[in-house]
Amino acid sequence: MGNYIPLLITVPCIAALLILSIPGRVRFVREAIAVLAVTVNLIVTLILFRGNATFSMPWAGFGFEFILRMYHFSGFIVLATAGFGFLVTIYSTVFMNGKKYLGQFYAYLLLSVGATNGAVLADNLALMLFFWEGLLLFVFGMIAIGGKNAFKTATKSFIIVGISDLCMLAGIALAGYLCGTLKISAISLPVAGLSGVAFVLLVIGAISKAGSMPFHSWIPDAAIDAPLPFMAILPASLEKLLGIYFLARITLDMFKAIEGTWASMLLMIIGVITILLAVMMALIQKDYKKLLSYHAISQVGYMILGIGTMVPAGIIGGLFHMINHALYKSCLFLTGGSVERQAGTTDLTKLGGLLRKMPVTFTCFFIAAASISGVPPFNGFFSKELVYDGALERGFIFYAGALLGSFLTAASFLKLGHAAYLGTLREEHKGVKEAPLPMLVPMIAIASVCVFFGLWNSFPLRHFIQPILPAESGAPSLPIATGAPLSTGLVVMTLIALAAALLNHFYGYKKTGSGVKASDHIHYAPALRGIYDKAEQGILDPFNIGMHWAAFVSRVGWLCDRAIDWLYNVLIVQASLLIASGIRRLHNGSYKTYILWSLAGLVFVIYFLLRTV
Amino acid sequence: MDNVILLLIVGIPIIGSCILPYVGRMSAGLRNILALGFVSASLAGSLMLVPDVLAGKIPSITFSFPLGCNFILCADRLAVFMAIVSSSVGAVVIVYSFGYISHYRHQDEYYFMVVLFLGAMMGIIFSGNLIFLYVFWEITALASWRLIGFYREPRDVLRADKAFLVTVFGAFVMLLGFLMLYNQTGSFDLAAIKASLKTNPLPDMAVFLILIGILSKSATLPFHTWLPDAGIAPSPVTALLHAAVLVKIGVYVFARLFLVTFTVSGIWHTVVPWVAAISALVSAGAALVDTDMKRIIAYSTVSQIGFIFLGLSVGCPVGAAGALLFILMHGLAKGGLFLCAGIVEHNTGTKNITRLGGLIGTMPVTAVSFLFCAFSVMGIPPFGGFFSKYLVLAGAVEKGQMLVAFTFLAGAVLTILYLFRLFNMVFLGEAKGAPAREGSPVMVLSVTLLAALSLVSGIYINYPAHFAQAIVKQMSGM
Repeated sequence: MGNYIPLLITVPCIAALLILSIPGRVRFVREAIAVLAVTVNLIVTLILFRGNATFSMPWAGFGFEFILRMYHFSGFIVLATAGFGFLVTIYSTVFMNGKKYLGQFYAYLLLSVGATNGAVLADNLALMLFFWEGLLLFVFGMIAIGGKNAFKTATKSFIIVGISDLCMLAGIALAGYLCGTLKISAISLPVAGLSGVAFVLLVIGAISKAGSMPFHSWIPDAAIDAPLPFMAILPASLEKLLGIYFLARITLDMFKAIEGTWASMLLMIIGVITILLAVMMALIQKDYKKLLSYHAISQVGYMILGIGTMVPAGIIGGLFHMINHALYKSCLFLTGGSVERQAGTTDLTKLGGLLRKMPVTFTCFFIAAASISGVPPFNGFFSKELVYDGALERGFIFYAGALLGSFLTAASFLKLGHAAYLGTLREEHKGVKEAPLPMLVPMIAIASVCVFFGLWNSFPLRHFIQPILPAESGAPSLPIATGAPLSTGLVVMTLIALAAALLNHFYGYKKTGSGVKASDHIHYAPALRGIYDKAEQGILDPFNIGMHWAAFVSRVGWLCDRAIDWLYNVLIVQASLLIASGIRRLHNGSYKTYILWSLAGLVFVIYFLLRTV
Repeated sequence: MDNVILLLIVGIPIIGSCILPYVGRMSAGLRNILALGFVSASLAGSLMLVPDVLAGKIPSITFSFPLGCNFILCADRLAVFMAIVSSSVGAVVIVYSFGYISHYRHQDEYYFMVVLFLGAMMGIIFSGNLIFLYVFWEITALASWRLIGFYREPRDVLRADKAFLVTVFGAFVMLLGFLMLYNQTGSFDLAAIKASLKTNPLPDMAVFLILIGILSKSATLPFHTWLPDAGIAPSPVTALLHAAVLVKIGVYVFARLFLVTFTVSGIWHTVVPWVAAISALVSAGAALVDTDMKRIIAYSTVSQIGFIFLGLSVGCPVGAAGALLFILMHGLAKGGLFLCAGIVEHNTGTKNITRLGGLIGTMPVTAVSFLFCAFSVMGIPPFGGFFSKYLVLAGAVEKGQMLVAFTFLAGAVLTILYLFRLFNMVFLGEAKGAPAREGSPVMVLSVTLLAALSLVSGIYINYPAHFAQAIVKQMSGM
């Protein structure tokens, strides 16, 4: 059984190479290969994912071992990857039709699936890094094919993710050295001293892959520039799965991080800050895709917060939120794609009233938006309640931050839904039709899973999430009927927050008379306006700040270099000339001077001879 | 049999190079083929030695001379590895030169010097005697002096003089170090010196003097500025000198003397990494500021050489293996970058990146090859550079040199930044000036070959990695 595991990597990669080798004139063949590859991948995954198996073969040595390990956790992630890969490929066959660089698009998509499988299955840190960092290339390629100026965003994302991958490389080297092995399942370290450094470095790698702050700022840019299915498959689902998967591996397996340590505090703080800042940015966006991309950042905060609590309820909540988020966020991006394709724009100020024209898309949007906002009984509600439960256990402030994030999330989705689907239909959108079937099917499929995971949440919790936790940690008591530990107080608070979001939306709508401007009273509030302006100009973008630092460092390096060059080009030359001119002055052609020199030399020679004798 | 091969590896290019100018008077084509043939002969010979050295044999050949100056050639795994890397990149560069150099004057001298240079490189690699090592070392200095000043403009000649003076100054200082060793042990033979020193480390003063020679040849801070200045040479020459061969001489001799043959006192395991770290950071910074395409890549070389020194000097097998792989990967990828830059310069007439742009539209193959090589230099999997970078840093971490490792990490970040800046400004964005054509077929073929090798060496990493492992085993076993 283990011998079939590499198929999950080789099948997508070989298909990708095949697609790249087919010339652009040949139609449908590339789509067919892509669909075939993801289908085979899905089937193989379905056969394999329940088992426990390993595959190993000799590799480069020096701790580099090619070991793949399929067990309940990696199997779960691989299954999710295969599902998203399949659905997004089906969606793309219509969405990407007629676009440029089609072959490259499918190749990168398949390679991303292959690399994700590799990174998840790897049981060796170096092997994992190989696939993990390799993903960077495909992200770069995917964004770069988005348009003429997309390469700037592509470069930005490459640099940001590349830097965090380098941190992870250092962390892996350090962890491998401290433990004497790179085998993930054999590593066990405390979080103190040097291994604390390793922990932080690995966490940086994991959370930046998931898109947490401060490594987030390429995602909103990519939302504008990259082809839309890229957003649905990578930042929304695969990278989240991968990043949070590895974060869980770090905190649960490799490092004995427990509640009350600084490591836990650090993660919770990052989580809450990410939730709040990103959702604040999402609230003021006027573009469908960009608004969603900020939520893709914000929601990571819940996962990090949940895992960072290090209490069972929080961890389960964080992991459940990971899969839920991948579901509803990819669904949301796909609805954004069908709006973009059918109505020709994603600018919210130019949209409106699409409900009547695209009812199926709207229904999917509604389910996914309700899930992300934490409306019962959809899946997002249950995972958020679990995260709240964990956060409250660790400190009221974390809970309050998370709840505030929930309020703002709901408010921004009310605004988005209102602006795009309600209100008056524009003249130019009179002829808009519902999206074609291959685009609807993936959306409907994902939306139904959202409903299913909400109503029967005990199914995913019992079968996928709970086995991940170490057996001895004691899972939280789950009521049998729903699965989630529903604390009445928390549910009431959530409902109050949602109601407040609704009131807030109506207040804003009444004040401005338009759905898209419903958040303006927050955007232009006296205290926030200045900060928002700065954020919109990119002054607060950590990438830009980092680039300023890099420019400074390189300027210093350049000056050092010039100073050293000056030594060679000026100082040494001048010194040689000076010495030469001094010596030249001694050879002035005067007979008397030469006699004097000769005599002095003779005296010196005689003295030297006498001394040695 | 092996002994004859060994003699031929060094002898064919050195003696053969001398007849190239005469052949060139009769037929340029024959001269080109012969030049390639001589270098390929070295490559083939080195490859033929592989099975034997992997089996643990160390072929050697000795001609006795008085005063400890015995002519000894000796092929261990390290030497064979290095010979394969240098001669293979050298062969690609010569193929590329067929297209690049074909319409310049002094071609006879060009091929003479290139082949002589590669022959002397083989001499350095296999030499088992310090004096002959020095002699071959100076032959490479002479050859590179002529090659850097190939265009014979006053500025070119000045830069060539600078490179020559700096490296020869270093070599003289190194010779003093060799003489010190001779005074102490009475021989220039590596084996004899080793026997006389027993397990004692080399005297610190001798290490210091030799190190100055090594650093000046390998263009490490503070002896590095001749390397960017030498970018005025023809691009195949810069590829050969800066990327693949010349700068690796110092690195190789470092490995040969301080790792394989002798031991050095512990202080050098801290001093050299720090020198390398500062060198890597400063030159990476300079690469991010400069606007001359070839100077940027040259600074990048200085920076990457720092990584190699780090791996060799931290004093653990993982680092050393990483450094050896680094020599291979960097030779391939950086050679490719220089050759791509050469195509761009050749067809647009400028090296100034502010006056270039949008070339991916007209020279897509060059652009993609450049990007591949750049990814390898950055150390992105699945390209080969990933493994070497990881192993070098792992070596530093393993020896507890955390601060050094983080300095190198900063250098690696800057590497990503300057290579992207270069790529974006040259190949992307708005086209400036007249659209340039793609390079000639042999030139494009050479760069795609190097780019493909960068990728293949990463995917089939087990072959080079196992060879590196075998070398390291031999190192620690001796």
